[in-house]
Amino acid sequence: MSLYLSQIRVIVWKDLLLEFRTRERIVAMGAFAVLSGVLFNYSLDTARVAPQDVAAGLIWMTLVFGGLLGVGRTFYLEAQDGAMQGVLMSPAPKDAVYLGKTLANFTLLFPVALLVLGVFWLFFGLDLGSSPGMLVLALALGSLGFVALSTLFAAVSSGTHMGETLLPILVFPLLVPMVIYGAGATGRIMVGRPVEEVTGNIQMLAAFALITLAAGAVLFRFVVED
Amino acid sequence: MSITSITGMRRTGTGLAVVGLLGMMFVYWLAFFWVSTEASQGVSQRIFYVHVPAAWTTFFAFGLCALTSAMYLWLRDERLDRAAVAAAEGGMIFGTIMLTTGPLWGRIAWGTYWTWEPRLTLTLLLWFIFLGYFMVRSSTENPEKGKRFAAVVAIVGALDIPFIHVSVLWFRSLHPQPVVVRPEDGPALPGDMLTLLLTSLAAFTVLFLGLFMLRYALEGLRRELDVRARAAA
Repeated sequence: MSLYLSQIRVIVWKDLLLEFRTRERIVAMGAFAVLSGVLFNYSLDTARVAPQDVAAGLIWMTLVFGGLLGVGRTFYLEAQDGAMQGVLMSPAPKDAVYLGKTLANFTLLFPVALLVLGVFWLFFGLDLGSSPGMLVLALALGSLGFVALSTLFAAVSSGTHMGETLLPILVFPLLVPMVIYGAGATGRIMVGRPVEEVTGNIQMLAAFALITLAAGAVLFRFVVED
Repeated sequence: MSITSITGMRRTGTGLAVVGLLGMMFVYWLAFFWVSTEASQGVSQRIFYVHVPAAWTTFFAFGLCALTSAMYLWLRDERLDRAAVAAAEGGMIFGTIMLTTGPLWGRIAWGTYWTWEPRLTLTLLLWFIFLGYFMVRSSTENPEKGKRFAAVVAIVGALDIPFIHVSVLWFRSLHPQPVVVRPEDGPALPGDMLTLLLTSLAAFTVLFLGLFMLRYALEGLRRELDVRARAAA
């Protein structure tokens, strides 16, 4: 068990180190989040539409689009110079590789989710409502479910000649539950509804994340085998 | 699989497809001239006899596709993959029928072509999952890889369907409630309508099975052709 965990840790560490040295994905996702906030500001007539009312949806859509931008390139660098073969030939089981890569993606995406929340709060003067802690929890579970699903399908799409173009077609239909529960919870908290109203959403987000993680861990080996 | 068994499959498939098509013509005749007109919805309700069996067939096809996909990843038998792709193609056709007949009826009954009603959303997403299935399948250089990728899409899709179903139920339902499978009270549909619905269900299922077997045989022939071309080269 501890061997398994350390194998996961090595993969996470390798991916984060790679990201720390190139800073490609985190910068792209972060810039995307901030610039989306700017574009939203000009695409909405804030005199007629109260940002507070639509912010929950915008936050989650920014998270999904920005997340795809980064997660879609999970396997890009390694595929370029054949390093993925090395990772797959290592003694680490395939599900450990998947879990490691998913956790590394989560470590990148969750700060971006917080950044999105922060940027929208700053740009639109949002009121974070009854429970900012619950808001952060919803974003964390949503990010986890998102990376669990999209890391698996990033492996699929990077094995096709369509590449990242294919990724939204594969993951958007499957992300509907996450967006419904995530945006639903965020919206309710931001209008100041009691926290008890969103515990169901939070549980569903957690269940979605767990099931997609388990499915990804089981199915990843079939995607990367050769 | 040998050529002779493929030929047998093709014959059976053709036979079933013809029976299914004839059955559907009979269903159309019954729906237009025989069955009684529904009191509140009038003539437009008759599309129900096409829409509901198409929906049923779509879900059956999707289940079959996911099941054979999972078994393919496990056993790696070519025939399972052939069954999965044949089911997926049938599901896409019947799903398209369902998604076109539904809005036509909805325009008259609800006053709108589209609404974010749970069942509509679910079936639209199901259609797109099938689309992803085919796109993944056809965009790999190595066909074996495409088969594995497609199987993964079908399995994750099947796991996600319950989530999608529960989550879209969050919105209030406009869709007519079930009128046949009601564990508490039994079918609520009047006799002749129920007879026609079940006839139509049978015709659609037979047609689907016919198309399924034809498609399955076609995949087998393609593979055989591949093997012979390689042997000749």
